[in-house]
Amino acid sequence: MYGGGNTFEGVKTDSVAQEDQVKLGEFEGRIARGEKIEPSDWMPQLYRKQLIRMIEQHAHSEIIGALPEGTWITRAPGFKRKMALMAKVQDEVGHAQLLYSAAETLGKPREQMIDDLITGKSKYSNVFNYPTFTWGDCCFISWLVDAGAIVNQLANAKGSYGPYCRALERICAEESFHLKYGHHCVIYLATGSSIQREMFQDAINRWWPPMMHFFGPADMISTHTPVLMKWKVKMGTNDDMRNQFLDMYVPKIWELGFTLPDPNLAKNSKTGRWDYTEPDWEEFKRVISGDGPCNKERLEVRRIAEERGRWVRKALKSPQAAYVPPLA
Amino acid sequence: MNNIALKELLYKIADDQLILGHRNSEWTGMGPLLEEDIAFSSMAQDKVGQSLAMYTLLHSLGEGDPDTVAFTRRGNQFHNCVLVELPNGEYDFSLVRHFLFDTAEAIRFELLSNSSYEPLAQLAKKIRGELRYHTLHANTWIRQLGSSTEESIARIQASLNFSLPFAMGIFEASPHENELIESGVFAGEKALKQRWLAKVEEIIHQTDLHLPDLNTVEPVPGGRVGKHSEHLQPLLDEMSEVFRIDPTAEW
Amino acid sequence: MDMNSLDPRVNRLSTNTYPVPNEPTAPLDQFGTFEVFVQPKGDKPFQHEGIVHAPNLEMAYVLAKEAFTRRFVCVSLYVVDTANVAASPITEGDVNIYQRIEDRSDQPGEKLSYEIYHLTRRGKQHVHAGTVQAVNAQDAMVKAKHQFNSGKGICSVWAVRTKDIRFTLPEERDLWNTLPEKKFRDASAYKGGDKLSVFLQSKQKSSDHSGHSDNADQ
Repeated sequence: MYGGGNTFEGVKTDSVAQEDQVKLGEFEGRIARGEKIEPSDWMPQLYRKQLIRMIEQHAHSEIIGALPEGTWITRAPGFKRKMALMAKVQDEVGHAQLLYSAAETLGKPREQMIDDLITGKSKYSNVFNYPTFTWGDCCFISWLVDAGAIVNQLANAKGSYGPYCRALERICAEESFHLKYGHHCVIYLATGSSIQREMFQDAINRWWPPMMHFFGPADMISTHTPVLMKWKVKMGTNDDMRNQFLDMYVPKIWELGFTLPDPNLAKNSKTGRWDYTEPDWEEFKRVISGDGPCNKERLEVRRIAEERGRWVRKALKSPQAAYVPPLA
Repeated sequence: MNNIALKELLYKIADDQLILGHRNSEWTGMGPLLEEDIAFSSMAQDKVGQSLAMYTLLHSLGEGDPDTVAFTRRGNQFHNCVLVELPNGEYDFSLVRHFLFDTAEAIRFELLSNSSYEPLAQLAKKIRGELRYHTLHANTWIRQLGSSTEESIARIQASLNFSLPFAMGIFEASPHENELIESGVFAGEKALKQRWLAKVEEIIHQTDLHLPDLNTVEPVPGGRVGKHSEHLQPLLDEMSEVFRIDPTAEW
Repeated sequence: MDMNSLDPRVNRLSTNTYPVPNEPTAPLDQFGTFEVFVQPKGDKPFQHEGIVHAPNLEMAYVLAKEAFTRRFVCVSLYVVDTANVAASPITEGDVNIYQRIEDRSDQPGEKLSYEIYHLTRRGKQHVHAGTVQAVNAQDAMVKAKHQFNSGKGICSVWAVRTKDIRFTLPEERDLWNTLPEKKFRDASAYKGGDKLSVFLQSKQKSSDHSGHSDNADQ
């Protein structure tokens, strides 16, 4: 699950001018033709670097994202919800595995990526720095945060890098039940008792601001990197993605009789875009830099998981092995 | 044949699977290696799914619906062995429990595939492949961790020593043993335990581990008759936490 | 360390301490990689799906089974160490890789069995094309050129020595038996449409009803 919007803040493109311009032309021609780039191809440094960063952050988002929902597995009400949630959270761990593998084809070893996550050097989707207080919160993530991630994933699946596209194809196939399951849970809450309805409304009220942050800072305050769009690394602007999400899901939320905590939220018939209260981007910056409700805990749990597994991995390692990056 | 004996058998199997499935699911997202996290999670899902199949059989025999039976009973109404309710501890304990329990479970269902109670025989045949994976996984891990570093051998050995008394509780005899055996529903805990021991010994002998003489192991029984450790009720409370917010609601 | 978390699993961890280690993570802490191939149906070829990190071949098989064959219906699996996959370069556009593989005369030495895989388009996965007898991977590609070159776009070839592969044993084929029944991971198991319609209709009815009452009051 991945918001992705802030990955490309502050990208420096100076290195592009230093690249072999003939090779660069061939590389860009391939992308323009819609042909995928594969691991053994020549690629500009910036492309390799930004892809690693993006795919790695996506992977981190999945493994961290497994925590706020994973906590509800033992508490999921009934077999149907429980089996689905177990499979869904497991898929998230599986997606992390697929994505780290894709990033590895670009030359960065998986343990390096995991270390960078734990030390705070690499980021993950900010939405997971918030707590899931209730089953309603869990359902919000399962439906709407997932929906946001799918908007991104579908866009990125048309990107230029082969291994990432292959991973996303598999991820999108596995995700198809996640979204339906999430919506199903919410329909039951919406059509259930007043306790259930209030639980979900309460969750919406708390999660809507992080959801508006999900796709990253507004276009007007973001730095734009046209070359990343040209290279099909970034597939749409943050506001484009956000509007797509609002188009698809606000009506569905309203149809269930829930309200959204933004009196200005409305589709503007003139612009065809959504009007809304501008999210607090200072708050976003604060949380993504480490000062959110759950940042410390998420990373600490991840660090502890790695620590607890250290003796296991040590026991299985063979000293002769040499590192070979994966092929595809 | 007497349904009471059959139901008691089904309940203990289902409760074992439900509780162990929950414990193993607690590792999801926190495993020692991503791929192993995924594998352990799959086996947890298998267990919960199998318990659902068992509770569904019980429902067809007149017991409550699976959700009610699984999520509203009190601890002293559960018939799982104490081994499966213990907290996860570190990975060495969870793996050893997985090895000891799943070795027994695979043999139990092997025996049940010949059950005179047709639905149970069908189910046993159906899940054979799932249980094959569980034992393949457990054996591979125990063999490897049981023969590598000093630390891993020491940890696995300590977990083995700790778990064996609780593992004996898997085979606690039912008051209806004879009836189950005579009616052909199940070959009985004694037969199961014998075959289990042979299999466990076979694997342990392939490692640097040592299997204590079972005659020196003091069994911890009670689970089968509702006598549990202090760990079960908190887990059950957790499992029913959302349910209890509104017991009449559909979730 | 007590994290006082909302997550009961995390609170259960709190009783132990897990100090931050002084030494950095060792290389290959997460192990080397193994390529995973899956057979979707009995009459279809094996196809590359991805990698697992694992300490050895047997563990790679055990882990790949859940990493790559837990979700969608399939019938078999095998794995091989990434280091044991010989990969040709990848071509541009429509160029067939076999045009780049030079013919060589029969090489001396013991012939071994090699599995050959083709990539028919950038962005897709390598698919098993067949088996050849050859003295090494390069020779295997030459043999494959003669036996499996369909003339259609093949942009990359992989060759793997058969004995390096951990195949599924015949008795292990039941590992995937229950996959088709696991409907709880199908989108079709979560059709909320009916419940939603009933809800929307009753919402509509109550707003119609309140409209009538207003009229009646006039």
